[in-house]
Amino acid sequence: MKHWMFNCKKVTRLLSESLDRNLPLYQRMGMRIHLMMCKFCSRYKEQLLFLRKTARLYSESSEDSDLSIQLSPEVGKRIKESMVRFLEKHE
Amino acid sequence: MTPNFCELFLTSPHFGLKVNKKKIISNNPVENPEKWVDLYGDYLYRFALYRVYEATVAEDLVQETFLAALGSFKNFQYRSSIKTWLTGILKHKITDHFRKQAKEQQLDDIEPNMNKLEALFDQNGHWKIKPANWNADPQKLYDQKEFIEVLHNCLRELPRRQASAFILREIVGENTKEICKILDVSTTNCWVLLHRARMYLRRCLEINWFTNLNVRESI
Repeated sequence: MKHWMFNCKKVTRLLSESLDRNLPLYQRMGMRIHLMMCKFCSRYKEQLLFLRKTARLYSESSEDSDLSIQLSPEVGKRIKESMVRFLEKHE
Repeated sequence: MTPNFCELFLTSPHFGLKVNKKKIISNNPVENPEKWVDLYGDYLYRFALYRVYEATVAEDLVQETFLAALGSFKNFQYRSSIKTWLTGILKHKITDHFRKQAKEQQLDDIEPNMNKLEALFDQNGHWKIKPANWNADPQKLYDQKEFIEVLHNCLRELPRRQASAFILREIVGENTKEICKILDVSTTNCWVLLHRARMYLRRCLEINWFTNLNVRESI
């Protein structure tokens, strides 16, 4: 590959940044040209989008996804006691 | 009772007041704080645990949330549900937790997984360990408990600051400017953190999930 072209390492960095900000035109172009020729960076891109989608699902449903995760009775009791103390102090 | 009379009675200020008062008393944590922990404790705990990954931290955050709620209950206007209101407080507590954690850590701590990431490329910056073909549907995978477990483990393996950056960006949904402030790093540093977090997570999922499923690398 010619030296002025972006290598895979650089493209992976730009792919990540493009999820967080608008890249300058020359970087977008360089990235696009590289992606047309590089199957692995294209896969990498897909996989970053996969991560993002999974994280979205996660944030939308995490509280309801595993109902077996619960506060232990001891911790529940501890929290209740701390609330009672708080109220006594602030009454 | 004629329908008209019934209507009159229901809409009378006296009746409305009575209903309102009753509602406030039964939901008022000042009257009955225990009830709140029973009603919302587990939900808030799951919410916190899925963002901080440590049971003790999540427990403390839930406790702090309830205490903060008691302190500011006067200002609660019933504009949202109590659950939403408590979740909002918890979200602030989680962000504060990331902020405190970042303050306690030296910046050098962000590097421990660098070698693994560097090893993915040769000296010319080309892939040495090539990304495999996952062929995966996020929704289908997300429904599998085992996959979520693998994802959790991968998030736990990340250096703290990288994990915080990723969670704030992709799960909490903050913009990078805000994340930089919370983690007290420069904008460039923030992008680097996110880049490394993503690269590491991707690789971790590939090794621990996709490779185990015998997804063949079709080169």
